[in-house]
Amino acid sequence: MKRKDTVKLISADEMEFVIDKDAAMVSQTIRNMLTSPGGFAETELGEVTFPEISAVILEKICQYFYWALQYSR
Amino acid sequence: MSNQKKRNFQIEAFKHRVVVDPKYAEKTWSILEHAIHEIYNHNASGLSFEELYRNAYNMVLHKFGEKLYSGLVATMTAHLKEISKSIEAAQGDLFLEELNRKWNDHNKALQMIRDILMYMDRTYIPNTHKTPVHELGLNLWRDNVIHSSKIQSRLLSMLLELVHRERTGEVIDRGLMRNIIKMLMDLGSSVYQEDFEKPFLEVSAEFYMGESQKFIECCDCGDYLKKAELRLNEEIERVTHYLDVKSEVKITNVVEKEMIANHMMRLVHMENSGLVNMLLDDKYEDLGRMYNLFRRVPNGLSTIRDVMTSHLREIGKQLVTDAEKLRDPVEFVQRLLDEKDKYDSIISQAFSNDKTFQNALNSSFEYFINLNNRSPEFISLYVDDKLRKGLKGVSEEDVEIILDKVMMLFRYLQEKDVFEKYYKQHLAKRLLSGKTVSDDAERSLIVKLKTECGYQFTSKLEGMFTDMKTSQDTMQGFYASHPELTDGPTLVVQVLTTGSWPTQPSITCNLPAEMSALCEKFRSYYLGTHTGRRLSWQTNMGTADIKATFGKGQKHELNVSTYQMCVLMLFNNADRLSYKEVEQATGIPASDLKRCLQSMACVKGKNVLRKEPMSKDIGEDDAFFVNDKFTSKFYKVKIGTVVAQKESEPEKQETRQRVEEDRKPQIEAAIVRIMKSRRVLDHNNIIAEVTKQLQSRFLANPTEIKKRIESLIERDFLERDNNDRKLYRYLA
Repeated sequence: MKRKDTVKLISADEMEFVIDKDAAMVSQTIRNMLTSPGGFAETELGEVTFPEISAVILEKICQYFYWALQYSR
Repeated sequence: MSNQKKRNFQIEAFKHRVVVDPKYAEKTWSILEHAIHEIYNHNASGLSFEELYRNAYNMVLHKFGEKLYSGLVATMTAHLKEISKSIEAAQGDLFLEELNRKWNDHNKALQMIRDILMYMDRTYIPNTHKTPVHELGLNLWRDNVIHSSKIQSRLLSMLLELVHRERTGEVIDRGLMRNIIKMLMDLGSSVYQEDFEKPFLEVSAEFYMGESQKFIECCDCGDYLKKAELRLNEEIERVTHYLDVKSEVKITNVVEKEMIANHMMRLVHMENSGLVNMLLDDKYEDLGRMYNLFRRVPNGLSTIRDVMTSHLREIGKQLVTDAEKLRDPVEFVQRLLDEKDKYDSIISQAFSNDKTFQNALNSSFEYFINLNNRSPEFISLYVDDKLRKGLKGVSEEDVEIILDKVMMLFRYLQEKDVFEKYYKQHLAKRLLSGKTVSDDAERSLIVKLKTECGYQFTSKLEGMFTDMKTSQDTMQGFYASHPELTDGPTLVVQVLTTGSWPTQPSITCNLPAEMSALCEKFRSYYLGTHTGRRLSWQTNMGTADIKATFGKGQKHELNVSTYQMCVLMLFNNADRLSYKEVEQATGIPASDLKRCLQSMACVKGKNVLRKEPMSKDIGEDDAFFVNDKFTSKFYKVKIGTVVAQKESEPEKQETRQRVEEDRKPQIEAAIVRIMKSRRVLDHNNIIAEVTKQLQSRFLANPTEIKKRIESLIERDFLERDNNDRKLYRYLA
């Protein structure tokens, strides 16, 4: 297991993408999901399911996250 | 873009198309509604954020945002009504705690709901200009809970009661208070102000009004001020702990108004402990406290200032017109200096060097010092006393300090030229009798006067010093050129320039033979080096040291004035002399001679002469003998030195007249100076200008100025304008 905080993003076809929490936080929605005060399922397990997003798209999204972290200041 | 060719393929619509199904909206909404219920019941862990978010997103996307929004409002309102019922049910003290808890819950739930409905918040709401979710939640809370009839009044009364309890000394739960107040603030500043702050301020005002009434009846001024300060600090602390920062100003205003402003006059004039007593007793702490507290209210400081000024003027007037004190000028001036020191330290310690108070102090001093028109004379006498003996053994810095203080008093004088006249007289006496303690001190005082009043003031004084120095050199030259005189009586001559020294009528007397020969030699020597000058001997200002042997062989060295020396030398040739004989032989004027003889014959311990009859007064027929039985503990005996004294009435009148005379040309010079530059000026302006110019020397009298103007017109320096009687024109 990686030491840094990570989250798991699961696509519609059951592909799991493990990315850093910082990368995931680029998205406001995911950020809200994970930092919501309420005890939603996501915060407890540390994984988010996207039943409507396919794996290919989710992969691109993850790549975008990392690009955003690196280049946009 | 227009299709030229028919496409081979069609771009298919999204496979994942949501069914536009009226029931779809209902379904989705029920899912969300259920979720909201769960959230409010703290059951959110079973839910999937993503799913809810997706549902909300879809609803908005398919134009069901309206339904979502209204549904949200309805659900939240229902929940809140339930919550408010449960809060109402809480008893007594638990009320606030219950409210607090429910508020926290509501906030958390609101946060979660907002997160889920983020998409709606971002798109639907700005488009339709509805209130965002978070704000909506707060508003609903406010309307249903806080403003619900039962809760509102209860909440307010509980809060006020807690504050009251704390004011009376109990300890309350500050954390709870802070949270509740914060809740009110979060709901909007108007809520906070309307629901809490305004009633709070009113209740506080009442409370402090009552308390201040109670205190002022039973406490004295110092205690009351202590209590007021305590309460003020308490309120400030309260604000920092659990109230809104903006309330600090308002509540402090209330306290200040009730406790201080309303009772200001009463406090200041309180008997036995009011401002005046504090000033008299040097109560620095109390004064400092009064200053700090009164500074917060309008007109507070000016009240203190006014009372202090009037008190100071009272005291000053008493001091200055008290006949007792006037007998000893040194004492008088010392008391003035003491008062000044006392008030300076009060202002610096208690009033933190406030400039306005300094100004008030200065103006009061100026006022009452000038009430007594002998003040310039007395100040000069004080300086004289200090320079003669008071400064012996005092270190240089202390000398400077004392002289600076005297300068301060000098600045308050309005008639500085009177001071100048007296100072010149006293300085002359000091220099000629060689009685000044420290030459440096004299010079430093002159420098101070010069910086204060300009070169003109001190030029003559400096001339006097120069004369003394020159005389020393002259004497050295004289004895160097006449070596045969070293065996005879030693002559020390001070050559004085007539202009610099105070004018005295020069009365000569008949010097004994040994002396007159010597004097003639000196005169010829001096006129040899300085032709064209005229010398006249001022015998009334000289001193002499003579060795005397009395009947039983006691030898003494007597330090006497020149007149007395002449008289005593006569007894070298005769044993008995009558008054008439003495008068004839010496040629000394009667009054001076009488004083001389009195000091030598009638004063105990210094009676080198014996008088018959042994009366205090000198009559025409009295006879004088050398007192063979004269004894003294010391070898050197000082008799009748010329001391600077307080002037007697006729002398005082004379000096004042001379001062008036001196002022006339000064006024005229000022008028001419002004007219020369202005050419044409009207009457009032002339008077104003002249007064301003002469301010540094004396206070000019308008009638005097008018007289001078008339005199100048007569002498054709000015003329009246033909058309306007008030206008004057300068004639070149």
